[in-house]
Amino acid sequence: MNKNSKRVLGAVAAVTLVLGTVAVTSAQAATKTVTLVYQGPLTGTDAQTGQDEFLGAQTAVQMYNDTNPAVKVKLIQADDQGDGAVAGTVAPGIAANKAVIGVVGPAYSGASIASFPSYKATRLTMVSPSATRVTLTDTKSPDNGYPFFHRVVGNDALQGPAVVRWSIDGVDSPKVYVIDDQTPYGTGLAQAAVAYIKLKKINQVGSDSVVQKTSDYSATVSKIKASKANVVIYTGYYPDGGALAKSLNDNGWNGVFAGGDGVLNDAFIDVAGKAAAEGAKFTAPAVPFETAASAAQQAAFTKATGLKTAAGHVYVTETFNATNVFISCIKLGKVTRAGIQSCVATGTFFALDGKTILKFTRQGEVVGGAPVGGFQVVKGIIKYFGAV
Amino acid sequence: MNFSVVVSQFWPLLINGLALGFIYVLISLGYTMVYGVLRLINFANSEIFMVGTFATVIVSRNFFGFNQDTDPLSGFKLFFAMGACLVASMLVSGVTAVIVELVAYRRLRAKGTNRLASLISAIGVSIILQEGVRILTHSVPMSNPRLLRKFSVVTFGDVGIRVDTLLVIVFAAVLFFSVDRFVNKTLLGKAIRAVSMSEETSKLMGINLNRVISATFLIGGSMTGAAAFLYETVYENTKYNVGFSIGLAAFTAAVLGGIGNLRGAFYGGLSLGLLEQFAAAILGTQWKAVTVFLVLVMVLLFKPNGLFGEAVQQTRV
Amino acid sequence: MINIRDKGAELWETWNRPKRITFVLVLIGLVGLLPYAGDFSFTSILNTPISSYQAVLVYPVGMFVLMALGLNIVVGKSGLLDLGYVAFFAIGAYTAAILGTKTHLNIWEILPIGMGLAMISGVLLGLPTLRLRGDYLAIVTLGFGEIVRIVAVNNRSTGGPNGIANVPNPPSIFGVRFALDNMKGFFWIIFVMILLVIWMVRRLSIRRPGRAWEAIRQDEDVAMLMGVPILRYKIWSFSIGAAIGGAAGVIFASKSMYVAPDMFTFNTSVLILSCVVFGGMGNIWGVVLGGTILAYLPERIRFINNARQLVFGLALVVIMNVRPDGLLPRKKREKITKVSAKPEGDSNV
Repeated sequence: MNKNSKRVLGAVAAVTLVLGTVAVTSAQAATKTVTLVYQGPLTGTDAQTGQDEFLGAQTAVQMYNDTNPAVKVKLIQADDQGDGAVAGTVAPGIAANKAVIGVVGPAYSGASIASFPSYKATRLTMVSPSATRVTLTDTKSPDNGYPFFHRVVGNDALQGPAVVRWSIDGVDSPKVYVIDDQTPYGTGLAQAAVAYIKLKKINQVGSDSVVQKTSDYSATVSKIKASKANVVIYTGYYPDGGALAKSLNDNGWNGVFAGGDGVLNDAFIDVAGKAAAEGAKFTAPAVPFETAASAAQQAAFTKATGLKTAAGHVYVTETFNATNVFISCIKLGKVTRAGIQSCVATGTFFALDGKTILKFTRQGEVVGGAPVGGFQVVKGIIKYFGAV
Repeated sequence: MNFSVVVSQFWPLLINGLALGFIYVLISLGYTMVYGVLRLINFANSEIFMVGTFATVIVSRNFFGFNQDTDPLSGFKLFFAMGACLVASMLVSGVTAVIVELVAYRRLRAKGTNRLASLISAIGVSIILQEGVRILTHSVPMSNPRLLRKFSVVTFGDVGIRVDTLLVIVFAAVLFFSVDRFVNKTLLGKAIRAVSMSEETSKLMGINLNRVISATFLIGGSMTGAAAFLYETVYENTKYNVGFSIGLAAFTAAVLGGIGNLRGAFYGGLSLGLLEQFAAAILGTQWKAVTVFLVLVMVLLFKPNGLFGEAVQQTRV
Repeated sequence: MINIRDKGAELWETWNRPKRITFVLVLIGLVGLLPYAGDFSFTSILNTPISSYQAVLVYPVGMFVLMALGLNIVVGKSGLLDLGYVAFFAIGAYTAAILGTKTHLNIWEILPIGMGLAMISGVLLGLPTLRLRGDYLAIVTLGFGEIVRIVAVNNRSTGGPNGIANVPNPPSIFGVRFALDNMKGFFWIIFVMILLVIWMVRRLSIRRPGRAWEAIRQDEDVAMLMGVPILRYKIWSFSIGAAIGGAAGVIFASKSMYVAPDMFTFNTSVLILSCVVFGGMGNIWGVVLGGTILAYLPERIRFINNARQLVFGLALVVIMNVRPDGLLPRKKREKITKVSAKPEGDSNV
């Protein structure tokens, strides 16, 4: 070994020593501020869902912080791109961040499954606004999040039958055509709907799956027309649902168009156009924010997000509710992960309207299974028709 | 498998497939012309299409003040409004394409480096455009007001052929043949063809390379813009990520027909539109993309340069 | 323009054997210690906000470097543009997920199966399509990538869009534990795989296959005239690349314990290709650097949230314009289109 390489080795040894001695103590949790995380797709192809949901969390935090509480809430974004691969990287980081006491999310079922091991290991409580896959709360399933995962949204098993019941309501001899959008949400809901259709021996005349972001639905429309269906159930999101409804209408089909909470949005009318949207039916475990929010909540929404209205943004109510679950616990003085966990698991909370009670079962579902409401577009406005 | 659909819905499937195909034809010009001249996959073309759709929507909504409650127009007003939207789309897309060439390709070309560098640069521009528009629009889709009343022109039994689909077919065909004539008959067109045959030789012949390339991007981009306008006329919606799938389809169409070849883009686009339509009807929409790619592989196996492609010079990564 | 790679090679040439070995060992040691870097104030600049630093080192950084090295054999070495590389990653991941949940095989036993299946699919895809040239190959591979994903979405045995959960972690080897709360193990196994791939590529480069690939990349027709069996070497390059992608997939599935079709989109293929070109096509060190930066950058700049991807796109455009051959380009000699007269030069890729 010559002189130079000895020098190199010496330097390396010195650096290693320095590194060893300057180990940092982990940052102390701030005393006056606690941190909540919103986890969902904030960039990339699914960014829309995450960006929309984040508005609800922002609003809830804004309303709370405006009351000048003793413990303020800081809200941070964790972008998992709705992708399990990314969530597997993001979740351990959030889990390791001692300041974080609760996760609003994960928004997507796949990302939830990838995140569970990290959050379970660090006892971090989650309240998801939109992960609807049935198995997430099924303690017998291998991919459940018990006892840290909760959701304020009804799972697919509840909404599937509801959307079928509501769509064929008042239709003589219904012939149903089911279309999903190939997302975990869409296929899950479609499966639940088809199972109910089979159970009740309703006449299903066909099915199709059209991948999200498809622009041309004319082939599907042709198939629907050929099948003589008079009810179309679309399980997906409103930008695609609106395009499908428009295409159906433009091609002279006039039956009942129905969809789940993904399609329920004021922007659906804008996308589909008034003529095509008229009479469309939706179901949802929660009322759209722009319909249900009080004036104060609307004002807080505008203040927090800089947007005039929540129309065009999905799941804002659900995220608002999920965030409020944590905030209610923080109001009670629970500012540790353990405190939050027991509080969320046992406490009673209120939804956006201040009346509807949210309480979680042991598995993390809303007690009584988040009532599924029926909606319909009447004269260009989405009207609420009560539980179905 | 469901062949009864094809029997009862043959005409709508055919006409809608043709209309979609013609939109592909125009977009694939943006790929194929650039490829012909630069031997480069113009990856940003899908975003150029996206920008074009927003141009139409913004002109009709913000400039004219139309919205979803506006009644469809007629007569001169209709002609004028749609003309303005078309011009705006073509202009915005064309200019964006030229800017993309300046920003992403020109420096690289001047250095004479590998084509993959340009490809990655194009992907970068694509991400910038898409994410930029996403942030500007808050990720919300925008809908285009209905300017043209969608009545049926011809009816076969209970199915009608709508005026907007016919408009797409007629207008796109006219545009395509004008571009075809332009490239084959004018001096600039001749220059474009010369450059696509040999860059070196055409430089020696005194052709201003940069000008010709800019012109190619302008034409390809504005055709993509015209497609964006036609797309808005039929589908009336757009979103920051609208370009991805349609751009991919148009690129596939260009390859199917033989990339770098104008007529190839024409036949490739039409076959792809029809193929997608009938595959979706017969096999189910979820297998549409698989069918398209399998057909593409089969075609390339027997005709390695696409359906109508001349032997493209050997290309190297 | 300065070529750091050439400068480095010059320096390397002047070193004697012990010096080289010391350097390599120190380098390996330092990289091996990377998972601890986030814990010290001195190096905590490396730490990523929000996401877990150790997890970031495994995916995306380690995975992308490994896959970029695999793709580099295809794109950089033999000049075949593959836009569907993610397909092999997906095949490896789904093999691990299906065998890991349905059989009693452990991940180490599945690893060769996953690599084998990826390799076979590489051969099956390559046999008909590698006769195509240039960009026609690009679109066919792109289509293959999409087909694999779409089949996974529409198939019951792959769990459809929901994917497969509860893929087992690998059993521990040499006392190293592999679990979600212990990402160091995964990092080290990927690091070992990266080292193996680098070693393999360096060996191959100076031997017959490497020279054949180089000839094919520079001029296919001339290579054919010189008697290089083009198709055979192309398929070799393709299937070796595929096997590496498959290996990455197996480890990925067992690391994240969950696979779903959404993880294997066209965007991932594009990203891996970007790593290769961004770093310096054909040069191992460039590819490693490119993969590291492009995988790490979006995680490091998480604090700018909304504009994260925008900055990423900007970085691609700016760097490609400033350094079109990548950060560490391949040797100048290799860029000359004439086939080099020197048959066995220095081994540096």
